[in-house]
Formats: sequence, C-alpha cells, structure tokens
Amino acid sequence: MRKWEIFKNGVFNENPIFRLLLGMCSTLAVTTAVVNGIGMGVATTMVLIGSNVIIALLRKAIPDEIRIPAYIVVIATFTTIIDKVMAATTPDLHQVLGIFIPLIVVNCIILARAEAFASKNTVLDSAVDGLGMGLGFTLALTVLSFIRELIGTGTVLVAKDFGFSGITLFPQDKGILLMILQPGAFITLGLVLGAINWWVRKREEQKNG
Amino acid sequence: MGRKELRLVVVLSVISILAGGVLAWVSSLTDPRIQAQAELKKKAALQEVLPDAFAFQPDEVLLEKAHTAGYRDLVESYLGYQDTNQVGLVFVADVKGYSSTVRLSIGVSMDGRLSGIKVISQAETPGLGAKITESDFLEQPAFREATINDQLAVQKDRGRVDAVTGATISSRAVVRGVNQALAAAKLFLAEAL
Repeated sequence: MRKWEIFKNGVFNENPIFRLLLGMCSTLAVTTAVVNGIGMGVATTMVLIGSNVIIALLRKAIPDEIRIPAYIVVIATFTTIIDKVMAATTPDLHQVLGIFIPLIVVNCIILARAEAFASKNTVLDSAVDGLGMGLGFTLALTVLSFIRELIGTGTVLVAKDFGFSGITLFPQDKGILLMILQPGAFITLGLVLGAINWWVRKREEQKNG
Repeated sequence: MGRKELRLVVVLSVISILAGGVLAWVSSLTDPRIQAQAELKKKAALQEVLPDAFAFQPDEVLLEKAHTAGYRDLVESYLGYQDTNQVGLVFVADVKGYSSTVRLSIGVSMDGRLSGIKVISQAETPGLGAKITESDFLEQPAFREATINDQLAVQKDRGRVDAVTGATISSRAVVRGVNQALAAAKLFLAEAL
C-alpha cells in the first residue's frame, strides 16, 4: 500500500514539473515534439531509477560531507550510460535531443530525489519513487509537447526512429510557429500550470466544504 | 589527515573507480555499434547524394586544392564510381549553423549538376533549424536545378533558395556548404575536361 502511495506521489501530488517546478530547463527546451518529450522522459526515468537504487544501496556507506559529489558521480554515470545506449540504438532521436541528454546530470529533480528520498529510504521504495517521479516527468513532458507540436506544426507523433510519419490534423502553414519556438514553451507551460492550479484549488475547496 | 578525512577520500575514490569501471564496460558494448551506425550513415549519406555511384574513393588531392582555393568548410572529398566509370564527386562540408556545426554531404555529377544534398548531422533548434534536414527544403527546385556555374543564395539575400521558415541562419549555412562544393567541383571538372 505504501509503495502505491510513493508511486502516486511522484505522478500526481508531487509531479516534478507541474507541482514541484523542477527540471524546467530541459522541459522548456525539448517539448517541441511528442517523441522528443517521451524520449527525454524515458531517458530521465532510467537515470532516476538507477541513481535512486544505487544511492539507497550506498546510503549508509556515504559520509554526509561528501554526499553531493558522490550522488553526482552516480547520476553522471547513469546519464552517460543512457547517452551511449541511445546513440547506439536510436540515433535519430539521440541526434535531436543532442545536448539535453548529457544535461540530465544537472536536472534538479534527480539530485532532489537522491537527497530528499533515496538517501533516507530502502532500495525498493527508492526504485518505486524513481519510477513514479520519472513517469510524472514523462507524462508532463508528453502533455506539453503534444500541445506544442499540434498547434505549432499541425502534425503530432512524428517519430523518425520508429518509422512513423505522424498524424496530420491540419496543414503546416496553418500552424502557429511561435508554439514550437522558445516563447511557446513558456506560454504552454504557464497556461497548463494555471489550469492545474485552478483545478487543484477547486477540489480542495470542495473537500473543505 | 585524520581517520575521518581518510574515510571521505576512500569512499569517494571507490565510488569513482567503480563508476569508471562500469562506464568502460558499457562503452566497450556500445561503441562498436555507435561506430557501425556512423559508418552506415556515412555510406548512405554519400550514396544518397550521388545515387549513380556504387563505390566511393577518398580524394585528398582534390580536397587540398579546394582548401587552397579558399573553400575551407569542405572536410572530405570522394570520387564516386560505377564499376570503373567515374560518375561524380561527393563533398562533405562542416558549416557553422545557428546553434551547431552542420555536417552536409553534397553530390555533383560529372555533367556538373548538383545531384543531391543531405544533412549528416546537426544540432539546430528542434522544430526550426532542424528542418534543414527535410526533403521539402533540400529537394526544392533551386537546389535540384543548380549547376557548378551557379552561386546560390536564400531569398532574403536575393537568391532563389526558399529558406526554412524561422531558420534563415541554418538555411544560409546549407547554402554556403553547397556553394563551396559546387565551386570545388568546378575546379575539378574544368581540369578533367
């Protein structure tokens, strides 16, 4: 039961993007297409689970004074592994995400989970926490990139690595290019955050009667 | 150094050494595949821009001549053969784009026509500059009809090339690479004739 709570916490209550507002840099940068968003989300999830497990394993062996450098070494190792595996298996996606894969190292959400959760909990709980947080991150990226890719290009789910040319809902020249530019990232994130906050507040008010 | 400090050094060293070992192992597994992918991509990139050729031979002399003539963005040059007949040239160019170095392959057939352009690698803005890789841009009439006597330019620079919307700088980079390849091919073809 507790595992389910930990999992749900990552996906909803403490969703890294929509509730904690962590990892904004890669969020704003890669959500131009759904496949980029999901690719980034899955890569981050792998790193999160891996680093959470290892850090939970080592939590009694790592002295307090050097915990941050130790965490960073673990996180960087997993990030490099993911980077290499993606380059070997999904070269097109790897090329598009480019610099943002190595930058997973400095995604706040990963260090935050290491510090706030994995260093104080069991290996299994930490793995579940990594999975929940990772899925929450992926879900949020998918929502944002779906909106941006659709409005920006008229086509969603273009995935070259998997030989899928996407679903075109309206021609490209009717799309609003701004949505896949940097301002589109801020506008979309702002509106979605606003909507979620409004909904959460309304629910709380109802609960309190 | 006290016992406590020593422990810090040992723990962090052990973690780092283990991490290094794991990475070396992963690297030994993935690197051959990454390299194979790159080779495959390279061959495809040459083949795609000069479809008539089956085999490619690097030509350092030609490359040097191009550099001397000032076409410094060209980094590799190949002669394309069908059996023993030379059917064209392929240049690989590294041009400075908006946010990355764009690597292109450019094919020129023996009759002096541009036979194809392909973007081998780039890290331009996804959804914008990254669209220079698409056939809508690379196979437009301005490129399809170009010959070694042409000097191309994007429409903003009063040329015929229709730049990718919102990505003039990336488009210009491609045009620059193509121009250098065409000019270098002209040097070679003038000599061969």
